This record gives sequence, C-alpha cells and structure tokens, in this order.
Amino acid sequence: MTMIIQQLINALLLGCTYTLIAVGFSLFFGALNVVHFSHGDICILGAFVTLIFYALGKLLGIFVIIPQFISIPVMIILAMVVTGLLGVFFERVVIKPFRYAPLLMVLVATVALGIVIREAVRLSFPHGSNPQIFPRILPQKSFQWGGVLIRVDGLMIFGITLFLIFMMFLFIKRTKTGAAIRAISQDGEAAMMMGINMDVTVAATFLIGSALGAVAGILIGAYNNIIRFDMGLMGGVKGFSAAVVGGLGNVYGAIIGGLILGLVETLAAAFIPGGTPYTDVFAFLVVIFFLVFRPSGIMGEKVYEKV
Amino acid sequence: MTQGKNIGKAILLIAVELIFLTLFAAFMLTDQIGKTIAFIIFFIFLGILFKKWEGLSENTAKLFKEMKILALVVFILMVLALPFVFQKSPYLIHICVMAGLYAILALGLNFQLGSTNVVNFATAASYGIGAYTSALLAVHFHVPFWIGIFISGSAASLFGLLLGIPCMKTKDYYLSLVTIAFGLIIYILLINFSWTGGPNGVPNIPPPSILGHSFREPINLFGFNLPFQSNYFYLIFIFVVGALLVAYRLHHSRVGLTWNAIREDEIAARCQGIDVTWYKILAFCIDAFFGGVTGTVYAHYIGFISPENFAFIVSVVVVTMVILGGMDNVFGVIIGAVLLTILPEKFRAFEDFRLLIYGVIVVAMLMFRPQGIFPQKLRVYK
Repeated sequence: MTMIIQQLINALLLGCTYTLIAVGFSLFFGALNVVHFSHGDICILGAFVTLIFYALGKLLGIFVIIPQFISIPVMIILAMVVTGLLGVFFERVVIKPFRYAPLLMVLVATVALGIVIREAVRLSFPHGSNPQIFPRILPQKSFQWGGVLIRVDGLMIFGITLFLIFMMFLFIKRTKTGAAIRAISQDGEAAMMMGINMDVTVAATFLIGSALGAVAGILIGAYNNIIRFDMGLMGGVKGFSAAVVGGLGNVYGAIIGGLILGLVETLAAAFIPGGTPYTDVFAFLVVIFFLVFRPSGIMGEKVYEKV
Repeated sequence: MTQGKNIGKAILLIAVELIFLTLFAAFMLTDQIGKTIAFIIFFIFLGILFKKWEGLSENTAKLFKEMKILALVVFILMVLALPFVFQKSPYLIHICVMAGLYAILALGLNFQLGSTNVVNFATAASYGIGAYTSALLAVHFHVPFWIGIFISGSAASLFGLLLGIPCMKTKDYYLSLVTIAFGLIIYILLINFSWTGGPNGVPNIPPPSILGHSFREPINLFGFNLPFQSNYFYLIFIFVVGALLVAYRLHHSRVGLTWNAIREDEIAARCQGIDVTWYKILAFCIDAFFGGVTGTVYAHYIGFISPENFAFIVSVVVVTMVILGGMDNVFGVIIGAVLLTILPEKFRAFEDFRLLIYGVIVVAMLMFRPQGIFPQKLRVYK
C-alpha cells in the first residue's frame, strides 16, 4: 500500500511538470491554432536562464546579503519574465510570418527554431554538451509520513504548480487581457472586429505560456539537480502529448493530460518488470492510442470536418 | 543547315553542362573557407541572374528539352567521372555518397510530404530499421548484402504499414505527433534492446562484394587507382537513378495523380471514389521501403551503426531537404538533398555551429522562399 502511495506521489510530481508545459501548448493552440514545437526547448531555456542568474547572484554575493527565501523566488520570477519575453520574441520572429501560410511551414519552422535554441544553449555554456549541475534552490529535506517518504522539494513543486495554474485561471477569467485571449481562441477575426488587438493578445499568451514553461524547466532542474541542453526535445514532445491527451486547446484538459502521462510513466517504471528504460515507449503508446480512438482528447470538443 | 545548327546546339549544351560540373567540382575541391563563401555568393548571383533574365533561363530550358537524351547521357557520363576527379581526396567521394543516400531518403519522403501532404517525422526510424535489419542479418547469419537489402526493405515497409495505420485516423499536428512518437519509440528501443547492441550499436558489418571484388578494396581501372569509396559512389548512383525512375514514373502515373488529388482536397478525392486510406498507406510503405534500402547501404558502407545515426534530427533534416528543394518536384528534391549534405560539410571548420546555422537557414528559407528552390510544377497534358 505504501508503495502505491509512493508511486502516486511520484506520478503527481512528474505530472505537475508535464502540466506546466502542456498548458503552454494548449494556450498557443487556442490563440493561434499553431503547435509550437520548440516550446519544450523554451522551457529548458528557462532553466538555463535561471542558471545564469544564479551564477551572477553568487558572483555578486546577493545570496549572502539578501536571505535565500526572498532572493530565490525573485530570481525565479526574473527568469520567468526573461523566458516569457524570449517566447514573445520567438513568436514574432518565427511564428508570426507564417500566420496565413500552410500549416506545414510553421510546423517545420518551429522544429528548426527548437534546433536553434538547443544549439545556442549548448554553445553558450562551457562544456554545454554535458549535463549541467543545477543549484539546489529548493530545500533538500524529507520526512516520513506513515511509511511514505516525502521530499520537501516535491511538496513545493506541487504547491508552486497549483499556485501558478490557479493564478493563470484567475488571469484568464477575471482580467480584460484574459477575456481577449478567450475571445481570440474562439474566433480570431471576430475578436479583431470587436477591437481586440490581436498582436498584443497573442504576445500576452506567449508571455504566459513561456513563463509557465520556464517554471517547468526550473522545477525539473531543481528536483533532479541536473539539466541538459537537449532535454527540451523530449519535454516538448511529452508536453504536447499531454495537451493532446487532455484535448488540445483546452487548459483544463492540459492538466488532466499531464497527470495521466505522469501516471502512465510512473506505473510503467514501477510495475512492469524491466520497464524503467521503456517508460517513454509506454507513454507514447498511450498517446497514440488516444490519438486513434479519441483524437479530440478527454476534454476537447468533437471537431466535425467542414466541406 | 539544320544539321549544322543542331551540332552547334549540342556543343553549346555540352559546354553548359561541362561548366556546371566543373564549377561543382571546383567548389567541392576548395578547402579554404573564404573561397567557399566566394563560390556560394557566385552561385547565388547565378541563380538571381537566371531568375531575372528570363530569356536566358527560357532558352536554356528549351535547349535541354530539345536534346533531352543527349543532355542526360552527357550528364550521367560526367557524374560517373567524378570519382576520377576526386581520386586524391576520398573524403569528397564520401560526401557524394552521403548526398546520394539522403537524396533517396528525400525522394521517398517526397511521396508523402510533397505529393500527398502527409507529414512524416519518422524517416529516421525506417532508415534505422533497414540499417539494423541487414546489419544484424549480415553479422549474425552472414546474409549477403544483396539479399539483406530486400529483407530490410520489406521490414521497413512493414514498419511503414504499422505506422500508417494509426496515422490514417489523424491529421496535421496530430499526425506529426504520431510520427514523432513512433520515431522516438524506435530510437528508445534501439538504445535499450540488448540484441541490437544497445547504445554501442553494431560494429564490423561486412562490406558487399560483387564477383569476388569486395567493396572495401580500391578500384583499379585504366591505370587509375580510385579509393574504395568509389565502389559505393557507383552503387549509390545506380540506386539514385533507380529511385528517380520510380519517383518519376509514379508521379506521372495514376498513383501520383491520386496522391495529388488527396493533397488538394481529401474529401473531394474520396467523393471521386478514391480509396484514400489505401493510397496513403501506399505512400507510407514506399517511403519506408526507400528508407530501408538506404539504411542498408549506409550500414554496409560505414561498417558500424549506432542509434545516434537514426535520431530525430535525421528526420528533420530529410523533411527540410524536401521543403527546401521544392515539394513534389523530383528534381528539386534531389538538389535540396545534395545542397543540404554538401553545404554543412563545407563548413566543417565551424563544426560546433553547424546545427545552429542549419536551423537558421531553414527558418530563413521558409520565410523568404517557402515554395523551395524549385517550386512544384503544374501538370502539363498534351
């Protein structure tokens, strides 16, 4: 029993990071009907931005002057902002020119952008091809609770994800920009006719999505204490898979999809003998299964083809 | 009178081809980065000249159309002579072989991406399955290359079928996700299975041999001593010609037309009584077969394969070749494959920046010339 609970906790943590990535995919798809294949790389870029800030902060002695429980959250927020702005920048440069082009163009362009980001990260860090040690920015404690080992940083990952997702919902439901995002995801042209500034709204969407993705990258790094330049490829495909399983374009679906994917992977590793190296295979098989039998995802609306 | 005119035209044509191939050979032989860049600027300038000055491009096209057979024969002879030109530098022949391999992969993908508008990011998977099948057969069961190539082609086709079935239910982004997932699954399996050698791959794959002449020995011909890579150069040349013929015939057949119909409007095609599923699956299988055959040649040529050779990036590269060269344009696809194989090799000095530059070029190309170097041509019926 404790083992099952332990595995469920692991699944939840994995699901949290997938959720944060998947929400970005769903937001972008909702706003522009594009799949941003380099989103995973932007998430990992967020972790590397944090790495730079951390090194800078250490150099300037900021972590000594200002207590860590203030300076580290500030650092994470800064990294979120920077990554968010980078996400907006990439949308302007790589996705916007293809707004009215065939879908294949934006697909290949974003895949190529992923290569550019990955390589830029690899080249700009010393020994960039090797895994980089990520600072232990979350408390490294753990406690036993009824035979279940709980890591404090895991608990914090859960808390941070919950908080951010909640904030994002508030933003989308309660603010004017949020209403604009919902409007363009329903019908871009009609929204523009109502006086909504498309470019600004799209930029807001990419700012939010990329910032949330950056947190996913940071949490992955902080939990495993290691980060590698090419983690973004797998992270992106997983995040996209999670969004698809939940229903692409539906933000609630992204959460469910992320949790399902995390559950599948953890269960495959735990209960299938010799399954650990093959967790990704099981995850992808589940995704393909969903795509074949329920392509609109769990929460997605059924799409009818118009002739 | 006409006789004399014809001879004059023939000489002109041969001269044009000779100049073209000399330029190509000279470009390949330069090893200084400055000269390489000068050459590239010159080529771009030539391209712009041909585009702006319509009389020139029209007349050249007319010349080639009038003397199709002569142009082809001369071109083939010149390509066959390339190993003699490059005999001092086996590395250049190696690049040519790789260009040929990628050309076949791109031609295969063109059936899907270009003709049918079905995205496929799993080329590397069929390529890898082909390579591993024949390599394992050759290493463990001593199956000769010439038999292995058919087995691996069939195995890859089977994979194509397997991939095609779930793909029938999906479209656009979802389809690309299925193919990416399939490609990653194959990659992960290759790394983790013990019988494929895991991350270490398969070493010591024997080279093919023909009439007792092993392909790893140099060719001695007319007093010339050609490096062993030339064997593969001629082999891959035959394969490329074969693939070209298949692609060309398919494009001009009912099948090609059907694929185009599906690309333009799937529902309309279905209403015309086209079995969309069958033709899409066919495209998957043919592409996979091409991939399998290419993989076999690669495995036996290099003699060592590992999962890294069949990673996701290979699929992206092949997709890019098709888009860059020009979708559904057989000639353009080959040019795209050759360009994207040779250019990165020419910039070996910036080895580390290769992929970065590559990504930037792809994005720039998509922005400024999305139809590719050679846009898809309208079908002409006479």
